[in-house]
Amino acid sequence: MPKTKDDRVGLRRLQELLGRLIVAPDGVADGLAHERALPAGGLASLIAGDDRMTAAERVEVYANGYFYRLLDVLKEDYPATVAVTGADDFHNLVTGYLIVYPPTEPSIYHAGRDFARYLDTHPLRERWPYLADLARLERAVLESFHAADAPALEAGALRALAPAQWPALTLRAHPATRLVESRWRVDEVARAVADGARADTTSATPAPDGAGVALVVSRRDTRVAYRAAERGEDVALRLVLAAQAAAPPTLAAICAAIAANVGDAHDDLPASINRMLARWLADGVLMQSAD
Amino acid sequence: MDWFEAISENFMVAGGRPREVIDTVRGHYPVVMHGVSLSIGSTDPLNRSYLRDLADLARRLEPAWISDHLCWTGVGGRNLHDLLPLPHTEEAVKHVAERIRTVQDFLGRRILIENISSYLTYAESRLTEWDFLAAVAEEADCAILLDINNIYVNAFNHRFDARGYIDAVPAERVVQFHLAGHADHGSYLLDTHDYPVRPEVWELYEYAVRRLGVASTLIEWDDNIPEFAVLAAAAAEARERAARATGNREPARFAPQLSGVASRAASAR
Repeated sequence: MPKTKDDRVGLRRLQELLGRLIVAPDGVADGLAHERALPAGGLASLIAGDDRMTAAERVEVYANGYFYRLLDVLKEDYPATVAVTGADDFHNLVTGYLIVYPPTEPSIYHAGRDFARYLDTHPLRERWPYLADLARLERAVLESFHAADAPALEAGALRALAPAQWPALTLRAHPATRLVESRWRVDEVARAVADGARADTTSATPAPDGAGVALVVSRRDTRVAYRAAERGEDVALRLVLAAQAAAPPTLAAICAAIAANVGDAHDDLPASINRMLARWLADGVLMQSAD
Repeated sequence: MDWFEAISENFMVAGGRPREVIDTVRGHYPVVMHGVSLSIGSTDPLNRSYLRDLADLARRLEPAWISDHLCWTGVGGRNLHDLLPLPHTEEAVKHVAERIRTVQDFLGRRILIENISSYLTYAESRLTEWDFLAAVAEEADCAILLDINNIYVNAFNHRFDARGYIDAVPAERVVQFHLAGHADHGSYLLDTHDYPVRPEVWELYEYAVRRLGVASTLIEWDDNIPEFAVLAAAAAEARERAARATGNREPARFAPQLSGVASRAASAR
């Protein structure tokens, strides 16, 4: 049915044109100036204008809707990043971000997914070297919030085991557990902003000794929390997180990995690991084992 | 409250608080699913992954019905996260109706298509918006979610008579009404869902109920969300106005009524 096919090609070209004008970063007028696929009569031959609003002004309503809707979503997803950069710089960041990472998923939840990756190479990192890591922490919190439900491994389950069974116990990370690694204490920045501190009083301190900090994000029921991991804890967390798709590590393997990492620096490694485990159980870091 | 409407995409998540909320609500009330990303009018192929997720959510929530909008939301794989209007042409009717039939076959049920608010119209349109809506619903054999606020907004933006629109809607296909607030931008009205229902929209709602009959009515409020008591009061007002419009003494019940097209909307073909 050739007529229908031609009309659908017409509909496609119309949608592609409007799609380009709506996302044009400098507005519809600028988009039109660079547009090569306009018919001879211009936009007015496609879109009706009247004494109240021209065709371009009508498309501009959608262009503004597109940008400001996504800006609002990203502001909600990254409140600490907004607080650090301020509204004007954040606005410009989002303009650039949407050019490189335009939304493609049905849910607007995914629109800000790549924001930290965008910030990794952005010139603003000269001013705020920790900005991408701060955004990465905020994304991890959001992902944790929406992660799959699963029964958490509880202290009672461990107490029910005989001591001889503990070394072979396999540990799996809960689906809501995340690890964010940074050279900066971006957790302190995020917490200060959440507590209402002004942006100009917050700046991330470098992690001690330049060694980097591992931030544990976990969820208990529906509440998400984050904190800096203890020495050696990051090694253990990497093991339980990396193993989600493959064989989970045993408690014995985790203890060995921590011991190898912290070496003689710990006075009482078993007590330290006990505290770590107790903390994990309380925070819902681990998932109930199928064993 | 008699029932709630869930934005489908907000609950297409793996778990956490959103799932806790919807499961709790569903445990106590009927729920309908209202999507924003079906993009039924796009020239991109239907998103099968999205349809599977929609079907999965429907299996969990057992909604009274599933709805989305008569619009397109993106092209070339992009999502503009907005509800964009279609040209009102016979060709667009055929294009959209074919895709609605495919979706209905996939889901094993009829869906509701909602009329959108819009800020532009196309030079090539040959049908009125109301004839376009009716033609799509007829050709796809689907149901209609009639948004009274959107009719009011469009009547201003595109200069037509709102009551004439309602007169032309096939009554037997209307399963649900939407009511919402909008913002006045002078040269156009913007459908913002962040304001109480305006008096003129209430009047139009009563007109719609007189012409089309009582149907389940939802108050939409997406931003500047007030205390629940305000929403409850608006829902109560809708019940009273629907009763007044039909001359009944009792407030209308808005439990999802599954008669006629509505029951066909909910059951497998």
